[in-house]
Amino acid sequence: MRELRDLARRLLEEGSVQTVLGWEEGPRGARPVFVRRPEEAERLIFDPRCVHNLAAYLSPRRPHLKGLGRIAICVKPCDAKAVAGLIRETQVARDQVVLIGLRCGGVLPDPEGRETLSGETVADRCRGCPDREPRLADHVVGTAAEGFPGPSRRQQKVEELLALSPDDRWRFWQQELARCVRCHACRQVCPLCFCEQCIADKTRPRWVESSAHGRGNLAWHISRAMHLAGRCVDCGECERVCPGGIPLGLLTRRVAKTVGERFGWRPSDDPAVPSPVGTWRPEDPQEFIL
Amino acid sequence: MDGEGARPFEPRITAFVCNWCTYTGADLAGTSRLQMAANVRIIRLPCTGRIDPMFIVKAFERGADGVIVSGCHPADCHYNAGNYHARRRFAIFRELVDFLGIDPGRLTFSWVSASEGAKWRDVVNETVDRVRRLGPFTAYRELVTDPPVTRVIGEEVPA
Amino acid sequence: MMTNASQITQAGLSSLVEDLRQAGIQVIGPARVTDGAVEYQRLADLSGWTPGVQPRRSLKEWFLPVTEPLFRYRKQGPRVLVEELAPPDAPRVVLGAYPCDAAALPILDAVMGWDYRDDPWFARREATVILSQVCPGGDASCFCTDVGIAPDSAAGADLRMCPIESGWRVQVETGKGEAFLQQWSRHFQPANGSKNPLPPAGPPRSEAPRANPERVRAWIETHFEDPFWQEVALRCHGCGGCAAVCPTCHCFDIVDEPENPVQGARRRNWDTCQTALFTRHASGHNPREDQCGRCRQRVNHKFAIYPARFGRILCTGCGRCARTCPSGQDITEILARIDQWAAGPGGA
Repeated sequence: MRELRDLARRLLEEGSVQTVLGWEEGPRGARPVFVRRPEEAERLIFDPRCVHNLAAYLSPRRPHLKGLGRIAICVKPCDAKAVAGLIRETQVARDQVVLIGLRCGGVLPDPEGRETLSGETVADRCRGCPDREPRLADHVVGTAAEGFPGPSRRQQKVEELLALSPDDRWRFWQQELARCVRCHACRQVCPLCFCEQCIADKTRPRWVESSAHGRGNLAWHISRAMHLAGRCVDCGECERVCPGGIPLGLLTRRVAKTVGERFGWRPSDDPAVPSPVGTWRPEDPQEFIL
Repeated sequence: MDGEGARPFEPRITAFVCNWCTYTGADLAGTSRLQMAANVRIIRLPCTGRIDPMFIVKAFERGADGVIVSGCHPADCHYNAGNYHARRRFAIFRELVDFLGIDPGRLTFSWVSASEGAKWRDVVNETVDRVRRLGPFTAYRELVTDPPVTRVIGEEVPA
Repeated sequence: MMTNASQITQAGLSSLVEDLRQAGIQVIGPARVTDGAVEYQRLADLSGWTPGVQPRRSLKEWFLPVTEPLFRYRKQGPRVLVEELAPPDAPRVVLGAYPCDAAALPILDAVMGWDYRDDPWFARREATVILSQVCPGGDASCFCTDVGIAPDSAAGADLRMCPIESGWRVQVETGKGEAFLQQWSRHFQPANGSKNPLPPAGPPRSEAPRANPERVRAWIETHFEDPFWQEVALRCHGCGGCAAVCPTCHCFDIVDEPENPVQGARRRNWDTCQTALFTRHASGHNPREDQCGRCRQRVNHKFAIYPARFGRILCTGCGRCARTCPSGQDITEILARIDQWAAGPGGA
């Protein structure tokens, strides 16, 4: 913590950045904070309650953050993959941001977490996460920590669902998606949902019906998962924010499985690795094509 | 209208096809007088790369029982790589909708060149047979059920 | 004639629910859904009823559904036929509404019956009997007492329930509640003991109000361009999760949804001032062009605009917005800061 606060203060004092984006203690646990004065660096914290993927704030979809000057942003190794995604898709220039990488041994499921971090309490997405050391970073702080073994429960649930019949899967999803209120919070918090105009907001023609009925909900969730193919870094923010508690991560995980198995792609913190949906290989499998 | 009452079920199939290959192939099938199922409505697009997966969703929303997407064989794309991009996209789409419980049997992807009229006939017949076996896609149509109509305002035009 | 204090055993409540079901009356109450959270659900019986847990979303969606058809239409040549749909007036009972949810309903009646009477809203209101419960306890995000509501508030309730050793003590609050009690009187017994029918509620969660609503309103009305709004919006993602769980956020969008070229439906869907699309004009211009304006709007509408027009704060202090916010935004913190400035030198 000292190391992080000292670094933030130094960056602000020397003027190499105007804002440090990190976490602070809020009324309900950790929360994002924009530190703009050196003396405020003392507000910064980093512990297993810092679950938020702050890369979402780099998305150009947030014009109200344009006036903050040059930003240094705190990233866990997994968050760095989202930053890499934004750089890969030319939404952010690498030299436009300063990345403060934090060594990470896993986080809790939510920012309030009062539990101690353990194999039982750790956020599901951290199970099997291989990334302890931030690589895409200008500064690295924190102490090395052990991770937690996989597979994640979400991954197991994907496999369980795949073993069902299509009709049973249909029933499962209809029950889950029935709680969708089409607030699109899943999109808003997603660091990789960076379209200036979302297809769900297009009205001429109306591609995705805005009504929260079965037809509109299915179209929206198909569309969202498709658009995140090869982009999703499995940060789980969509699932955390959903006011209906829909297991949205299952959809993105399913898509990730496809792009992994078929195109050998894994979320990467290397912006130079090409996106699997913007590229192709002549020998891509096509057993499903007549 | 395709009957779903007393008449036997006739699948409604929407086909999104590439202008440069399958569309011409389908035309060839016709001018060659090849017999095939008459259940397919063709929508012509410049390339499979132009086919947004949402087109398929829209087709189901508007009552399709099955969908065909067909374009140029690998290395034959009029725009060099549109079909390669489409191939990746539809590989992902197919597995995603399968995961959501849409039987992938309702979807056909094919490469049909301008000279393959007979292949187009086979693709159509095979798809229609398959979707016929799966039956009407009532699950999709029942996604929205409104309360019963109690009163009609306005004048009905006599049939 | 029943006295206005009754009680019902847990078994009596079960048989009441069974009788209501037999009579075709829908019972709605807090129950767990597949992800383990509690929401107001349709109940077949009391087995899944969880009155002790505040539902994740408010009761509002049972009166203003997330989506609802207003009418259907059919085209015939040049004509359009409008098809009216059966009104949503099926009788219902809400069993165990939280006071902060029940209290939201009369607040919203004001806007729903203002310049235009919202028929679906009032059809549901009239068809529903609300049995609220004295709040079994909240958490640090609760602030109902700051906005003029209390854990044992009767606002919006037809009957109020409070747990006692042998079941529930029930107090009549409205004529509708009285009629309900009479109709189903065989399940109830007269209350034992004193005339004071409900035990006193537990202490409110916040010891002292964190903000003075009048001062807050005066400050908001005079500080539209205050830089505070820039600052407060920084961490906001504009996800609108706050509006989705809020018992009083009631904005909606109306869309025509064609199913094919000749038929479709006009539907009303929840909307929120937190998204860009909410205010975007057909020209592309957006008067609330970024999140600062949208965050301000939410606070402004709840604590200044609505009170100015209807004399009520558009908030019941349920605390759900703070619980759901992915970025830890807390409305009480915002109000407290405003109040501090307003109370300070040169305030409002």
